[in-house]
Amino acid sequence: MAELATVCPFCGCGCGLYLHVIDDVVVGVSPSRAHPISQGRLCVKGWHAHEMVDNPQRLTHPLVRRGDELVEASWEEAVEVAANGLRKVADSAGAQAIGVLGSARCTNEANYVLVRFARGTLGTPSIDCSQRIHSVPEVALNAGNSRPGLDTGQIADLDESDLILLVGSDPTEEHPAVAARVYRARQRGARVISVSTRTHPLAALADVHLPVRPGGELKLLGSILHVLLVEQGMAGDADVSGLPELRASVADLPPEETQAATSVPAEAVREAALLYASSKRATVVYSTGLALSLHASAAAQSLENLAALGASGAGPKATVLGLLSRNNLQGCRDMGVAPDLLPGYTALGDDAAVEKLERAWRCELNRETGLASWQMMGKARAMYIMGDDITRTMPGAGVAREALASLDFLVVQDIFMSPAAAMADVVLPAAAFAEQDGTWTNLERRVQRIHRAVSPPGEAREDWRIVAGVSGAMGKPISYEDAQQIFEEIKDLLPVYAGVFYPPLAVNGGIRWPTAQPRDAGGAPAAREKIGVAAPPEDALKESAAGAETSDEYPLLMAADPTLRPWDGEVTVCHTLTAAGEFTVMDQDYPDGMLCLNPEDAKRFEVRGGRPARVVSATGEGQMQVRVTDEVPRGIALVPYNQAARSGPMEVSSQPVSGRPVLAPTPISVGPVQ
Amino acid sequence: MTARMLPKNRIEEFVGRLLEQAEVVAPRRVEVGDVFYGAVASAEEVAWDYGHAVEPLKRFLLPQRETMLRYSTGDKVRVEAELDEQERVFLGIRCCDVTGIGVLDAMFGGDTPDPYYMSRRERSTVIALTCLQAPDETCFCVCCDAGPFLAKGYDQQWTSLPEGMLVEVGSERGEALVRSNDDLFDEASVDQVAARYRLAREAEQTFGDFKSYIAGAMSKLSMNEVDPKVWEQAALRCMECGGCTYLCPTCSCFTVTDRMEDSSGVRERHWDACLYSCYAREASGHNPRPEREDRLRARFFHKISYQWAQRNGRQACVGCGRCVVGCMAWAHMPAITEGIRRGVMT
Amino acid sequence: MNNPYLPKLATIEKVKTETYDTTTFTLRLDDPEERKAFQHRPGQFVELSVFGAGEAPFCIASSGHGRDTFDLSVRKVGHVTGALHEMGEGGQVGIRGPLGNSFPFEEVAGKHILFVGGGIGLFPLRPQIQEVCREADRFAAITVLYGARTPEDLVYREELDRWQQQEGMTCLLTVDTASDGWTGNVGVVGTLLTKIEIDVSNAVAFVCGPPIMIRFVVQDLSNMGFGENAIVTTLERHMRCGIGKCNHCMIGDKWVCKDGPVFTYGQMREMTEFEE
Repeated sequence: MAELATVCPFCGCGCGLYLHVIDDVVVGVSPSRAHPISQGRLCVKGWHAHEMVDNPQRLTHPLVRRGDELVEASWEEAVEVAANGLRKVADSAGAQAIGVLGSARCTNEANYVLVRFARGTLGTPSIDCSQRIHSVPEVALNAGNSRPGLDTGQIADLDESDLILLVGSDPTEEHPAVAARVYRARQRGARVISVSTRTHPLAALADVHLPVRPGGELKLLGSILHVLLVEQGMAGDADVSGLPELRASVADLPPEETQAATSVPAEAVREAALLYASSKRATVVYSTGLALSLHASAAAQSLENLAALGASGAGPKATVLGLLSRNNLQGCRDMGVAPDLLPGYTALGDDAAVEKLERAWRCELNRETGLASWQMMGKARAMYIMGDDITRTMPGAGVAREALASLDFLVVQDIFMSPAAAMADVVLPAAAFAEQDGTWTNLERRVQRIHRAVSPPGEAREDWRIVAGVSGAMGKPISYEDAQQIFEEIKDLLPVYAGVFYPPLAVNGGIRWPTAQPRDAGGAPAAREKIGVAAPPEDALKESAAGAETSDEYPLLMAADPTLRPWDGEVTVCHTLTAAGEFTVMDQDYPDGMLCLNPEDAKRFEVRGGRPARVVSATGEGQMQVRVTDEVPRGIALVPYNQAARSGPMEVSSQPVSGRPVLAPTPISVGPVQ
Repeated sequence: MTARMLPKNRIEEFVGRLLEQAEVVAPRRVEVGDVFYGAVASAEEVAWDYGHAVEPLKRFLLPQRETMLRYSTGDKVRVEAELDEQERVFLGIRCCDVTGIGVLDAMFGGDTPDPYYMSRRERSTVIALTCLQAPDETCFCVCCDAGPFLAKGYDQQWTSLPEGMLVEVGSERGEALVRSNDDLFDEASVDQVAARYRLAREAEQTFGDFKSYIAGAMSKLSMNEVDPKVWEQAALRCMECGGCTYLCPTCSCFTVTDRMEDSSGVRERHWDACLYSCYAREASGHNPRPEREDRLRARFFHKISYQWAQRNGRQACVGCGRCVVGCMAWAHMPAITEGIRRGVMT
Repeated sequence: MNNPYLPKLATIEKVKTETYDTTTFTLRLDDPEERKAFQHRPGQFVELSVFGAGEAPFCIASSGHGRDTFDLSVRKVGHVTGALHEMGEGGQVGIRGPLGNSFPFEEVAGKHILFVGGGIGLFPLRPQIQEVCREADRFAAITVLYGARTPEDLVYREELDRWQQQEGMTCLLTVDTASDGWTGNVGVVGTLLTKIEIDVSNAVAFVCGPPIMIRFVVQDLSNMGFGENAIVTTLERHMRCGIGKCNHCMIGDKWVCKDGPVFTYGQMREMTEFEE
């Protein structure tokens, strides 16, 4: 038995783990104690990571569609069919009619090659990653170079903090490695403030918990800033640009004023703000609970404001950690899997930089802004999907399925027969994380090495080779020796990865960008010059919490909770034994959605735990199974975001600025099924 | 006590001879500095000065995943069992881990022996290596009668002295190993034996503040006197990762699944954890332990109740401290026993 | 070493539909030696392998007396039972067992034997009823009380008819909800207890059914004066290995598979995890 060090393939934390290999089969997993993130721990997903590798349901051969059936084909044939199909759509509808989806599950190298394939070979600007919809706002993803004057956070900051502010984040479900640090920080006396609708375990243990009404997040953060800036007159030594505007924007937001919109008692808000102000070193953590709210960007900016104030000497020194949900969501964006960027955050209008890429890639690139994943739905005529879970991530019942069904041509490259793959014209079997070399970049921008521990099943191949193969069949060969050669090119071409070398396995915990030195003791990248804050747009504050008023007819406010069962339906998690058991249970007990209600509401509306309930909103109705729990405040009904996104009576709305689709809190009535 | 000396300059030779007859599993450093028990090819690979191995030996007796049966379907079903018949010497194993094997023996032996476990166990020789100081700040074997030195449970127990290894023999198998390599062993002197007892006393003093109040917790658990609030509070401090069970030298719950590869089937068993919500769930949907607090209570009852200690010959915690390291939250053995004792979780 | 995980091959001799979701499979071990060695007592169970689907525990639903086949009555609820229901006569399955302990028999001779079954809880009681009936003269009286949700949920219809007609035996039926054509009792099975005469000082009750039914019937029986150890039931739990190794069926310090599945109410009360 050999232990091979690699990185956990699930959330954005990037824990180090060992795969146990016997006779080219992965038979188990162990945590790494020496690894700076895992420190000897793994969550339930990590402990079962091996099960998705040697799994009888893996795709093993290329498949091509013959009528209603997908039948086995040789690589040559499948690649030819894929190339011809894409070419045909490009010829008839134009290259921009092809949508390409990269993956936060795949390596940097694969995503980089995919961008080259999309913008160069196909000539379409429409490349994106739908998993991005579930991620924190872009402001955080570009963190390394967009937050002047601030340290950029890393998970280890939690160890040094005497205050942890969790906003819209349940790390026990979403980011266990972060939760582990919070628990340990608590044990050594750090204080915890939680802001979230649901009283998750860390909220229940928090010193102050603010159970905010869905939609009230921005106003609540405004009130916290009001207490700090107006009531406490908090001010630092350094010059802070935008401070007067920020102070003015929160002048009218004393906690008493926002109480109705946030459902949080004024004294609790004040207690939280004062506790925050009295600390010395704070880490502010947020994730999907905030990211999938309507005014996510403005709310995230409010948290950045706290950090900026701290940097100026007002309040605790603080870092902001925006937690990403997928193992390589950060890297996926770093590589330019986005309709409005090129690799390395190269702007589309930066001619010199684009030409540099064109020279390296020996092709012309499409320099337009393409369609985002949600815009591709119904607009693209063909799609090439590499390891993206679009049927799960796209909000709105059946939106993705209908869009995929209406395509003229669909190629899916994945490790399992995902719902999208089942609809494809060509299915290309890919190697799993334990079967290919490359790098992933975690939520702290830690570039870590994964490596081939076993052979892929059947004829499955590394992701980048598959994409390169299709490109070759379209007359534009992409040739690299191996993943390392791709990485060397990334490092040479992309300023943000400059100085990051292809980490050999011995570099435990990888290398954080931007840096010129290998990361040793977790040193943060150099701080930048000017400190600034930004006031939230006026209309965002005004709109916040509006439109979600309950009434006698619809007395409950239903919200989709992205921190609740965030892994439900995820294609890789579905195939790990223990997690699969959990998800099967979820399917069996809550097939139409898990409607979480406070015990008093359940009694009031005469519904029982484990039984179906009728859910009616102004725009629709449906049936869901009830779970009674005092994690949910009175007057609120929470449903896991993934379930609500696939079905149910919630409406899809879109975030200002990013335009990302989100589910808006909806007033409903609930009653027993007759 | 029969004690021998294996002088320093003969250790390599001895390990070499072991390697001729068996797979030698010993502590060794892997890629990024972690120590795992694993097969070594020479004495040089053995990390004699290691602190603690990331995992106990369990994986070598009860793999995380193992094939139990293979069968062919079709006209006539044929079923075949697969047993691991590799001879193994476990060399340089920490006392807590050696004690853990004893608990596994009780679970998998008994009146219905488990052939997969027993096949490996009967072909294994266990050579313990005593701890001259606490290997880790999380170690609490001193609270569990499982180290830093052992009185029984090993085939041989080695203590590192400046001149070599003091070898105590604890079984016929251990004695046979001395006899067949007679030329390598010297008689131990009275001073050397005395040194072993002095070192044992000194080692016990090096254990840190991490204590586990197992006796008190055992009595409360066994009499069903634990305040239910403790379990509710513990439930907020457990993330159901299963790490404490997977890393535990004595936890041995498994589940069984069938998988098909074309027309032949494989029945495998996998580690399972009693903390997982679907662990006790029945096919009908009824779950006798629907809440996390129910599962935590069941787990700790199994680990350290008097009732189970009686069935297994000892309580099932050996104080290795791995649950302290591996717990995603704060529901490991010392935290829970402390909570039970005080009636409240911190 | 004997491998207790190795299933013995058996062939499905007969398939009989009991209700819309339950079926009785009559099995016969393929190997004559194994057939001879397969001696089972009422209350015991087997682990049944449906090759390709997996393994699950089922109580043996027939007395072993005078036959070299045995019945498993199965409700279609999960993966393995679903796959089993796809199989027909002549199909090959795997059997491990008999496993677990059994109902007391000699110990209860001379007593009034009361069976209380709810729904598919009649499956594990059936072999004991058959054996008690066969030696009816050794018991003071035999009473079977059986209830199901609806008339369509009643299992072993023909046998119920026979029991109702058998001399020296009382067999009463009830349903929670009547449907067209049902003229019998309506109400939970506990209500039948008021309709019988029984000397509780010389009686023993065998109770099987869903957890909620067991809870209420045990309460009723206690109120009537049944002692803790005069109430016997079988427990159901999620099981994997069937031999006390995997721990899935553990309750307190007992394995249901090895220390049970038959327990008296008194034994159950001693279990730390038992909820009344």
